[in-house]
Formats: sequence, structure tokens, C-alpha cells
Amino acid sequence: MVEGLGKHVVTEAYPWAPLEVPEGFRGKPVIDPEKCVGCGSCVNACPPNALTLSDDGRHRVVKLFLGRCIFCGRCEEVCPFNAIKLTKEFELAASSTEDLVQEVRLVMAKCAVCGRPYATLREVRKVAESLPKNLRGLAYVCPDCRERISSYFVGFARR
Amino acid sequence: MRRASGSEALGRVVETLKRLGAESVTVTQEGVVLSTVTKDRLRDFVRALIREYGESLRHSTCVGADLRPVRGSFSVTHVLALDCLRLYLLVETEAFGNSPKVPSLTPLLPAANWAEREARDLLGIEFEGHPEPVKLILPDPWPEGVFPLRKDYPYNKKLYETPAQVRGVRGEPRFFSAKPTPPSESVREGCALIPVGPYHPALHEPEYYELYVEGERIVEARYRGFFVHRGIEKLAESRMTINQVPFLAERICGICGYTHACAYCQAVEAAARIEVPERALYIRSILLEIERIHSHLLWFGVAFHLLGFDTGFMVMWRIREDVMRVAEALTGNRKTYGMNLVGGVRRDIDEGKASLVLRMLESVEGEFRRFCDSVLSMREVVERVKEVGVLTREDARRLGAVGPHARASGLGIDVRVDHPYAAYRFVDVSVAVRDSCDVLARILVRYDEVIESIRLIRELLKNMPKGELMAEYSDLPPLRIGLGATEAPRGEDVHLVITGRGNKLYRWRPRAPSYVNLATVPTMLEGERLANAPIIIASIDPCFSCTDHVVVVDLRTGVRRRMNLLRNALTRG
Amino acid sequence: MGTWFGRSTWVFHLNSGSCNGCDIEVLNMFAPTQDVERLGVKLVGSPLHADVIVFTGPVTFQALPYVIEALKAIPNPKAVVACGSCACGGGIWHDSYNVVGGINALYEILDTLGIPRPPTVYVPGCPPKPEAMMYGVLLARGMVGQRQRREVYVEEVKEVEAPQGVREVVAKAARAFRGW
Repeated sequence: MVEGLGKHVVTEAYPWAPLEVPEGFRGKPVIDPEKCVGCGSCVNACPPNALTLSDDGRHRVVKLFLGRCIFCGRCEEVCPFNAIKLTKEFELAASSTEDLVQEVRLVMAKCAVCGRPYATLREVRKVAESLPKNLRGLAYVCPDCRERISSYFVGFARR
Repeated sequence: MRRASGSEALGRVVETLKRLGAESVTVTQEGVVLSTVTKDRLRDFVRALIREYGESLRHSTCVGADLRPVRGSFSVTHVLALDCLRLYLLVETEAFGNSPKVPSLTPLLPAANWAEREARDLLGIEFEGHPEPVKLILPDPWPEGVFPLRKDYPYNKKLYETPAQVRGVRGEPRFFSAKPTPPSESVREGCALIPVGPYHPALHEPEYYELYVEGERIVEARYRGFFVHRGIEKLAESRMTINQVPFLAERICGICGYTHACAYCQAVEAAARIEVPERALYIRSILLEIERIHSHLLWFGVAFHLLGFDTGFMVMWRIREDVMRVAEALTGNRKTYGMNLVGGVRRDIDEGKASLVLRMLESVEGEFRRFCDSVLSMREVVERVKEVGVLTREDARRLGAVGPHARASGLGIDVRVDHPYAAYRFVDVSVAVRDSCDVLARILVRYDEVIESIRLIRELLKNMPKGELMAEYSDLPPLRIGLGATEAPRGEDVHLVITGRGNKLYRWRPRAPSYVNLATVPTMLEGERLANAPIIIASIDPCFSCTDHVVVVDLRTGVRRRMNLLRNALTRG
Repeated sequence: MGTWFGRSTWVFHLNSGSCNGCDIEVLNMFAPTQDVERLGVKLVGSPLHADVIVFTGPVTFQALPYVIEALKAIPNPKAVVACGSCACGGGIWHDSYNVVGGINALYEILDTLGIPRPPTVYVPGCPPKPEAMMYGVLLARGMVGQRQRREVYVEEVKEVEAPQGVREVVAKAARAFRGW
């Protein structure tokens, strides 16, 4: 019986000493506000809707509410710009749910034709970079207007 | 323990099903045969099946679906397991109209009781001839005639939408009028009622028992569970896409969640004919076994605690901590591993991690064996569990017990062998069976299983092939049926999936092992001493979050003979 | 809230319909490795004995009346440690039909019943590590400081207009199709 019990000390020093967590630990997700373009891939993938997207006219708000997050790391996997990462941080206790929020507010681009805000400026610039120079202007037009413009040009060419 | 199988046996079964009057018979996936029957013929068909296959036919679950938007009808699919032929038989029947009726199978197969009542609660399908057609799952104040799983019910419409609605008349909150259902009339005069729960020191989950005792002896037990009904199926069918659901499936249960995620993925993979890479299958199996070890060690700890042997609890949980740390290193979290997606796994087990696992196995095996061997040689522990909470082989079969619980009653069923999945088709699993049918047998079966899991992980790690972790696949084909079954630490876990459009599910029905095992608890409690109730309830390793559903069980029905036997045994002991 | 409890905190574990993940981790706090008892934290079997509720689960409607009863039973002063994302904000279940949706939604119901909200510490995680829960309990006792804070980033941009050249092309097209 006594041998079965073991004799060494197993109790860890935490909270008096920091706790080592292994590589790949899925801790607090953090959005890198410099890299995020507000495309919403993570929002679509997030199973508990902890990540949400909303527009307030001038800004697009990417909101991460840790009080709903299940720390699955799907956001990290699907982010095309590596803007969201799961860290090793686990001491997340807070005395208010307000403290569990990370918000990234990104400026919206306004359509050059109709003036409607339609995507974040960063996203528009990324798209513009990927287009050939003569078509780059189309990135600054909202999808609806873009369609109308292109149909106009197509019609013009047919004539 | 390999049994006869192959296309020949399958052909024979298909022939038989046709002969017995199935309208159509299709093999939907490897080891699953779907037959459709009209509802008038359902009972005759199942009766003929029982005659044909006898006691090897086991009722696994029953799944109702609201197919009105696509077929204009409701469907009820019974899942019957034919373990000896390595088959699952799906028997589907249709019912039309807004208040559909189908004949109940409970009189033929008692194990169908809860599953049918669940379909009645959630979909409003009436089961004609059901012996106790009363509410099971939904909360007490839920209105009559509202069925949350019907497609016209919005998933996010809460029972009470504003806090003020909770308050009823005269300032008294409506909720507090919600009392557990009144006791059945059979409760004898002179019995004392002992309510246990929903919050009670011996329980770590909300569930409610009413034990009726005569002196020290329990004469009737009533159980109201389903405190944990969270509307999982509805969420999966409406809000989520197929690759979000594995994370939801994992949260059916915080202890054996990974097995649910696996069963779900297998069901979708079967429906969409996705070939999962072999390495991913191995990784799934390894994690499933790690989960089994952690779950069993946890159970040992809780069981020792309930026996009044707290040292055992502490030691078991210390040993278990190693397993948790390895799980954390492999998956990024101690629980809810989040490793599965449809088509494969998300993280690899590389050399470094493999050696971590092997080191853990080494220490766990040594410590576990040393400690449990000495405990099982202690008379004060053994006497406490011997011949306590007996569930005979016949009862276990009749009530559809699964997993270690069934194996401790002499039933050699194990999904890993009977319906091999993941990497279990590449290794031989030895099934631990005991036939003393008491709590001691359940301890011994789980002991053997921990040792077997350790051996399996070593073998799987050694044989793990190189390769991809994820299968490539395009959009999901709509309205295909898929079945996934795994051997959870608590027994057979069955998930049935009907795929929908736009990479979503049309219907998903998980059936956790505790769901069927809990139905055996009243039988085991009958005639027992009150002090033994906690360990008997715990001996099935119940997981209420898996099961979450109200049931009133009358111990007076049936099995009265054994009561005397037991009394004799106890007075002798 | 810390000073009320002195050096010892007795906790009652209240499961309002959780998946067991958090509940097992709560028990794990009391297991040898984390051994929170060395910090004077003790698990008790009745809410009447407790100072702190360790609260798990998203609060199902079936459990709601019992949860309210248990919360009322704890003598004041008390505190709540909401463990896990379900308790903090409803988690993955937040908008399901049978779920109240976390402890803040529960507090809204308490408000209508005239029951004061106890001070609350939120511990997100799914499930949180036992150490994270320990941190939460210690935060409730005032033994550690809070690390997690609200973070808001607002992008500052001077140039919102489309670049030169682009504007002419687009304007031309716009003029053209406005004339349709």
C-alpha cells in the first residue's frame, strides 16, 4: 500500500511562481491590429460567434469577446494575413466582461462612385495591389457600382 | 475475437431484410444497411427481425427528422445494432401530416423508450402504444405543442425572451412553480422519501433523484435529469457549418468530448464518401485511447471517493495529471482537444510528441498498476463493492447497456471490435469481459481497459504511417445519411447525420452511452442499502451532460425476484 | 471584494448545465498537483457553508429555478467566480433556445426578482486550466491583480480618398452611366 502512494512532491509552485505551458498551447487569441484587414474570414469560421463584425458608418469593428471564445484556434487557421494568433496567456480572469473584449476599428473605404462605405480601406488596398495597374481603380468602387460600370463598358464594346 | 463478416454475410442480411418485408434495402456505407418500411408494417418487420436474430439484435437509438421541407413528411429511423455481424441496421419509416403518428417499438425493445420520447418532445411525433408517453427532455415550463427541432422553429427563440417574462403572476417567478413530476401512485405507504439533488454533495452535475426507502433499503428510485439540455442538435442544424460542428460535438461532454467529435466526423465522412488519410486515423485512435485513460482514471478517483477512500481519489488524480499534460502538449488544451475537422485532424504527432506520450505511458502504467493492485487486494475495498449493484446479463441485454457497464455483466460488446473505426481496423483490441455483474466487475473491467489502452497507444505509435493529415473534398452532397459509431470510455456512442445544402447539416443526432446506461440504474438500486446508492449510480460512470434528459422509473415493475436474492446475499455478507 | 474572506475561502461548485469540462477542472484544482487547499480554499457541499460560488455552465432553463435558489442560499457577503466561457457569456450555446446564456443574462433575471448581483469574477476558457481558475479565485480574494484589460484599437488614416488617376477613370465611367 505505502509503495503505491509515491513519495515525491507533485504540487506545483503556481501561483507563487509562473507556470510553464507547452508549445502550441491554445491560450488567449490576440488580433494584431496592424495586420488585420477586417475581411471577416475568422468571423465566418468562429463556432461560438465570439468574433463579430459590425459597421458603424466610418469604421468596421472586429470584436473579439473572450467570454464566449472556446479557444479552438480556427480563426488562426483561416486568417489569410496571420493577423490573429493564439498566445500562451491563460490568466484571463477579469472582474467585468468589458475587460474580456478586444476591438479593432478599421476605417472604411467609401465608394468612389456612390460614396457608400463598402469595405475597409486596408482590404481595398490589398485588392488594388493584386490588380493590374489599369484596372486598379475598380478596387475603389463598391461591388454594386463595379458591376454597373463593367456592364456599361461591356455594352459599349458591343456597340 | 474476430467474427465472420464480409460481403457474403452482408448479402444474406440484405436478402433477409427483403424477405421480411422491407420496401427498399440499400447499403449506405460499409457496415450500415438502410431499409425502409411503411409505418403499418414497422412492428411486424421488427418483430420478425427479433425472431430472426434473437438476442444479438440491440436497439441503439431512434432518430426523428422533420423532412417536411424536402419530402413533405417526418421520418423516424431506428438504429439497430447487430454486433455479431458487424452491422448497423437502419429501419426508416415515414409519417405525414403535422401531427405524425408512428407505432412505438418500446413494447418490443424496451431500450427504445427514451429515444422515442425524445423524438416526441422535440419533434412532436406521437408513438402509438408507448407505455409512458410523458415529457422527457424539455424543461418543465415548456409550452405544449411547441417542438424546437421542427424546421419552422427558429433556433434562437428562447423559452423566455425577456428577463421580465420569467416573472409570472403575483410577483412569484413562474419557474418556481416548476416541481418535479409528482410521485407515482405505486409508492407504498410508510416509505420515506429522500430527495437527492439537483445540487448535492455527492453529485457534480445537476440531476435529481427521489429515493423511496423503507428503513435502509431503497424500494423505488425516480430520476429527473435533462438539466443540461442545451439544444445542441438545433444549433448544429441551423447556425453552424459542417466544420464548426466538430467543436460543438466536443462540447456535448467535457470528459469524453473527443469521441463525440470523432463519431460526428465519421458520420459526415461516411455520408460524403470522404477517405480520411491513414495517419489521421491513427492520430484519432491514439487520442481516443488517451481520452479513455484519463476518463477511466477520473472514474477510479470518483469511485474511490464515494467509497470513502479519499487517498485513492488523490492518487488517481495525481496519476491522471500526467495524461492531462500530455494531452495539452499534443492538442493545445487539457480537454476539448479540438483536433478534428471533417476529413482529418488538425495537428500532427511528431517524433518529439510521440516520445512524450511514451514517457507518460511508462509512468502511468507503473503507478497505476502498483496502486490499483494493492487497493484491489485490500479487503475493506473489495467487500464494499462485491455483489453490490448487480445487473444481470439478461437485464443488461434487455435494457441495452453498453460499454464497460455491459462488459462487466458478461456482454462482450465493444464498438472497436464489432464495428471497427479509425485505426482500430489495423490493430487487435482485446475486450475485457467480467461476468460477476457487480460494482467490483465494473472496477476490474476498467482496470483491464486502462492497461489495454496503454498497450494500444504503444502499438499505434509504432505502426503509424507517414502521410497527409487532411483529405481534400468538395462541397457536401445533400440529403445523404451517414452513421458514425465510436467506443467512448462509457460505451457505444452513435451519431447519425443527414447532410443538408450549403455545407450544413440537415439533421444530426448524437446518442451518448450514458443515455442507455442510465436506464439500468433503477434496476441496480432496487433492494440496495441507501449507503450504497452513490457508488451504484457512479459505477456506470454516468455523464449527465452527455445524456441530458426527465424520467420516472418505477422499480416495482418487473425484476422483483432478484430483490430477495440480493437481500439474502447482503445479510450473508 | 477580497477583504471579506480573510485568508480562507470556502467555495461551492454550482453547475448550471455545463458540459463537465469545467466541473472536472474545478475538481482538478483540489487534486494534488494544483492543490488549492494550501491557499485556504476549500470545496464545500452546501451553498449555506460557502463564501464563493464557482459557477459553471450557460444556465439551462431547466436548471434556472434551482440555480436561483442556490444563489439565494449563500449568505452575504458572497462572490461568484464564473468559470468557463459558457458561464461568462453563454459560450457556444449563447443563442440556443433552452439556454439563458451565461451569468450576466442570469443577473438580469435576478434584477427583476430584486436579488442583488453578487460581485463576480469571469474566467474565460473552454475549459480554463485549473491554474486559470485558481487565478480567478485569488482575484476574487484580492490576492492577485487583474491582467486582462479591454483593448481597443482605432485605425488612424489621413487619406480615405481613392488615389489620383483612379478617380478620373472612375468619374468618367460614373458620368457615363449616370447619363443612361
